[in-house]
Amino acid sequence: MAAIGRVTQTMLTDRSLTRLQGSLSRLGEIQEQLSTGRVLNRASDNPADASSAMRLRSSIGAQQQYVRNAQDGVGWLDALDSSLGSAGDLVRRARELGQQAISGAAGPEAREALATEIDQVRKSLVTSANVRYLDRPVFGGSTTGSAAFTESGGTVTFAGDANPVNRAVADGVLVDVSVAGPVAFGPDGDSVFDHLGALSAALRAGDLTAVRTGLDALEVDGKRITVARADVGARTNRVEQAGTRASDAELSLTNALSEIENADLPRTTVALQMQEVAYQAALAATSRVLQPSLMDFLR
Amino acid sequence: MAGSFGSVNTAASALRYHQAVMEVASGNIANVTTEGYARRRVVGVSVGAPAQPAMWSRYDGHGDGVRVGSVDRLVDPLLDSRTRREHGAQASLDTRATALARVEASLGEPAGAGISKALAAVRSAWHDLGNNPDSGAVRAQVLSTSQGLVTAVAAQRHNVETEESDQRISLLSGIGEANTLAGDLASTNQAITAARLSGNDASSLLDQRDTMALRLAELTGGTAVENGHGGLDVTVGGVALVAGGTAGALSVTAGIHADGTADGLPLALAVTPPGGTATGVSGLAGEIGGSAVLISTTLPALRAGLQDVAQQLADAVNAVHQSGYDASGAPGQAFFAVDPSAPGGPLVLLVDDPAEVAASGIGGGANRDGSNATALASALASPERGYQQFVTTLGNDVASIRRLAATQQNLTDQVDGSRDQLSGVSIDEETVTMMQAQRAYEAAARVMTTLDSVLDTLINRTGLVR
Repeated sequence: MAAIGRVTQTMLTDRSLTRLQGSLSRLGEIQEQLSTGRVLNRASDNPADASSAMRLRSSIGAQQQYVRNAQDGVGWLDALDSSLGSAGDLVRRARELGQQAISGAAGPEAREALATEIDQVRKSLVTSANVRYLDRPVFGGSTTGSAAFTESGGTVTFAGDANPVNRAVADGVLVDVSVAGPVAFGPDGDSVFDHLGALSAALRAGDLTAVRTGLDALEVDGKRITVARADVGARTNRVEQAGTRASDAELSLTNALSEIENADLPRTTVALQMQEVAYQAALAATSRVLQPSLMDFLR
Repeated sequence: MAGSFGSVNTAASALRYHQAVMEVASGNIANVTTEGYARRRVVGVSVGAPAQPAMWSRYDGHGDGVRVGSVDRLVDPLLDSRTRREHGAQASLDTRATALARVEASLGEPAGAGISKALAAVRSAWHDLGNNPDSGAVRAQVLSTSQGLVTAVAAQRHNVETEESDQRISLLSGIGEANTLAGDLASTNQAITAARLSGNDASSLLDQRDTMALRLAELTGGTAVENGHGGLDVTVGGVALVAGGTAGALSVTAGIHADGTADGLPLALAVTPPGGTATGVSGLAGEIGGSAVLISTTLPALRAGLQDVAQQLADAVNAVHQSGYDASGAPGQAFFAVDPSAPGGPLVLLVDDPAEVAASGIGGGANRDGSNATALASALASPERGYQQFVTTLGNDVASIRRLAATQQNLTDQVDGSRDQLSGVSIDEETVTMMQAQRAYEAAARVMTTLDSVLDTLINRTGLVR
């Protein structure tokens, strides 16, 4: 304030009012920060921080979505894993049955019993291969049908497609959470189902050479299923890790956002206290300055 | 010597003078809180010998008392014109800062329920569709969140348009007020001239004149210059609005209809000087100038910025959507359109059948591929950045204009302070003046008494012997 030559009551009143107003509006600002819990209530409060806050909030939303996507992907992969697990067991069981036919010189009735069991195994395997997650056959790619493999006239054919089912688990990272049917169970005509059918037919016919050939083919099928299962396991790991990373990222982004946007409670409270004191002092000073005039001393 | 009764006259002049002083002081005290009142001061002049009464005469007195030389109105025309200029600039900045702050508050960013939130919901819906492309519920969700986004953009544009229409109305009412004031100022100018000619005290009229000129400056940023007859001539944008006792008119020549609606043309203002033809003016300050800047530059830029955001959104979404395939395997259609004149625009949702949402990236028949939906969710990042930039730019503008207004406020306060230092009434000062006058009055009365007793001695007791 420049040197004041002459001071009048109006000047004092006006200035006091302006300053009280200023003090009160600062009090209001602090009160807003405390009641909203945020120092950043509109973009103009701090344009640079507001821009960061918006970016952070958007990233947090993206990370939350990645966590959800990863959870959905893990669901798919778990369904694949359990299906491939039971498929592996079934193929192993079929091979045991075949071995029994070769090692024990079984009679026609016994071979018939073995063949019947292998037919059952084949049926269970078809059920396993048609396992569904959220109503979608997990081995069927992007098919609209309800099954990955269909059986007609004793022949099982692949009804799905080989399109990937991708889940976005991080910025620009897509993970295929499906396994195409032929990759796990072999191509049509040379699939595990065909081999099982041939094995049961060979058993019924008592053709031991054919049984041996069938067992060799089943060994290859079993390996294929194991490889597919290992691949699913690796992808499950990857998706789970991505999910964990996304939730970690969400946490640290939330922290960063809070640092930019949220009011520092102790500091704001102290500031409120100080401003309150300042306001009261201003009120007291104003009441003392505005009260007296020469009149008070002329009696 | 001026005779026996000369001193009585001198005392009488003192009584008259001090009475005048007290009268003026009481007037000052009465007007201590009156807006635009400049304090008055009585200038006393001692009555002395006439310069040369007559050819061979000579004056042998020692002064004939005191008289009221003039009653001065303590103002500084330079300070007044500075006050008008600063108030004009202040009003312009305040108008702009207030309007922009309103628009900004209505954005609801960064933490409120603005466009960002709607965008986040849309992105999340597209991701969910990518996970469950065959779910009708999720498809419907994509459409409803997209409609929510359209509504959010429309709400923002509506806010800006409302502000524009408010500013147009306030510009018109400001112009109405300015024209009324100009007329009043012209007649006050006339009254001042008349009062001067008849020798009346024109101080109150001058107070009114200055108050009106200040308000005119706050409205238009017009400059006022005192003419030779005590009046103020006001020029707005370089064209005379008030000249002596006549007033011209400020008017809108294009941009706003009389009912406050926009006519689609750029805003143009004109001043018709008294007896002249309308001349276009630009670059006004004051409330009208502030509103004019908002109407012709700031708010249209904001509206264009929003439309830009809408365009970016539509382009990004359409490009991906059209490269995908809908539930039946048919290629995706355009998803959004940008139509500034649409009632719910500028963004318009074109797809209304959930089956037409192109979630699949594989054509040639129906399938459950969701890759296009996932791609679309990622494609939203770019328009989102565009919107964030829009908000940051607006935030910067608001912060900057608010800073300017605060700086200007310091200047305005300082000038107001200096003006008040000179023209404001101080009660203490007036009390002192009153007491001085009171004592002087008492002393002059005592002079009377003394003279009376002197005369009493001379007239009643001379020659009496006890």
